[in-house]
Amino acid sequence: MDATTLGAWVATGLTLFILSFLYKDNPLFKLAEHLYVGVSVGYTIVKAYDTVLVHLILKPIFEQGEVTLLIPVAIGSLMLTRYVPKASWLSRYAFAFIVGVGSGLAIPRTISSFILKQIEDTVRPVMVLVPGEGLSFSWNVLSPTSSLNVIIILIGVSSVLFYFFFSVEHTGPGRAVARTGILFLMIAFGAAFGYTVMARMSLLIGRLTDLIEFSDPSYGRPTIWLLLLTVGSMIYLNRRRQGTPPDAQ
Amino acid sequence: MLRIDRRIIFVVIGLCTLLPLLYPVGLPIKISPEVRGVYDYIEKLPEGSVFLLSLDFDPASKPELHPQAIAILRHAFRQNLRVVAMTLWLTGTGMADQLVTQVAKEMGKEKGKDYVFLGWSPGGAAIIINMGQDLYTSFPSDYNGKPTKGQPVLDGVQNLKDVSYAISLAAGNPGVEAWYVYGKDKYKFELGGGCTGVIAPGLYPLLRSGQINGLIGGLRGAAEYESLIGQKGRAVAGMDAQSATHAAIVVLVVLCNLFYFSMRQQVRQQRQVR
Repeated sequence: MDATTLGAWVATGLTLFILSFLYKDNPLFKLAEHLYVGVSVGYTIVKAYDTVLVHLILKPIFEQGEVTLLIPVAIGSLMLTRYVPKASWLSRYAFAFIVGVGSGLAIPRTISSFILKQIEDTVRPVMVLVPGEGLSFSWNVLSPTSSLNVIIILIGVSSVLFYFFFSVEHTGPGRAVARTGILFLMIAFGAAFGYTVMARMSLLIGRLTDLIEFSDPSYGRPTIWLLLLTVGSMIYLNRRRQGTPPDAQ
Repeated sequence: MLRIDRRIIFVVIGLCTLLPLLYPVGLPIKISPEVRGVYDYIEKLPEGSVFLLSLDFDPASKPELHPQAIAILRHAFRQNLRVVAMTLWLTGTGMADQLVTQVAKEMGKEKGKDYVFLGWSPGGAAIIINMGQDLYTSFPSDYNGKPTKGQPVLDGVQNLKDVSYAISLAAGNPGVEAWYVYGKDKYKFELGGGCTGVIAPGLYPLLRSGQINGLIGGLRGAAEYESLIGQKGRAVAGMDAQSATHAAIVVLVVLCNLFYFSMRQQVRQQRQVR
């Protein structure tokens, strides 16, 4: 059995074990779940060790003599002092460094990218001056830059911001604006939910496509054999549970 | 209906997914402007331009982003671009290497000359800033341990300013947003995005404001891209199933609402009788 065929059997088995949860929780699902967590953690540790410790620290220091790398290594090592209660205060220096650098990098860039740029886009001019034609107003809903969409976005942003402004009671005209805000929020949640459904269905399509592919004789038909094994195991486990006295369960 | 066993719904959804995969109908696929934005930009790039593809996902998002990556790589290699691939997700490195190597082999491209896979480097979003200053300090060697300096594919490339076009295929953070915030906004290169369906709505504001020039959303986006390059693959094959399951979910939602309102009506009538 070559690596591809073995991979097909493992992938098929784990997919079916995970899907068996749709019927009810069972030991096969638990096995696949624990394997997933274990393999993910193991893979992460090995890759991090190889990439960071071996290729970015040890090799450059010992083979290329880059001793300046010892400075970040020392700062990083301070994190490990958290495991020694008496020296754990040293880890604060490492955290201070990370928080300081992280905030310094993130705050100006985030404000520029997500606040200023988005405000600029929201307050785009409604009318466009076309040379020789004067002011023009575009009604095309499909064009994201059309005048109509600029107005819709402006109404949406203003009404949603007003809805989250709790210092004024939402009565009278304020109630109408807040209601408009809720409407926009509902549309946004609906769109997000629609995309989420699409994404989850795509995952199912991906797994079923693999299961169909692995039902091929060139792989030894793992889908069929492992489906029979999974269904058989579920029936056996169900019967055994039914035969067990209630207080033993 | 409102007390229906949820396993019946699972069976319905399962059948709606499985049957179109076994017996495809071939429903038409309409190309959206956001996907065309990415395609057109790559199409207009001159031969030998540096194209950076950041595969910011792990195997959990493979069904959606793997077809996108394959379609984009095929397009980039067909345009004879110099492909620099990398990932910001540690858990995706093995899969990303396999993907890039597989497509490069299929397109007859040579490692080190036509493409390079840099792998992963620690730092998350900070690595993007580091790459903007000097690519060789962030990735002194590629995924296979070969020094990046001196590789023909990276000739004339010192940092992100030398990149003609970058695309991040993201399943979360760090991803498209990080590439915009720490990359494009600072080092001024053109950026496109590809993402899972779950995070797509959050990226549309970036698209509208021109912060990214295109967006490939989920399996649907991948199918559109496959249609554009004329090489239909797994994404196009999955579109019939996607449409069938969406139709089933819409029908279930409508039915449940109808039953809910009719039950509410019955309860009201019973109260009035009492």
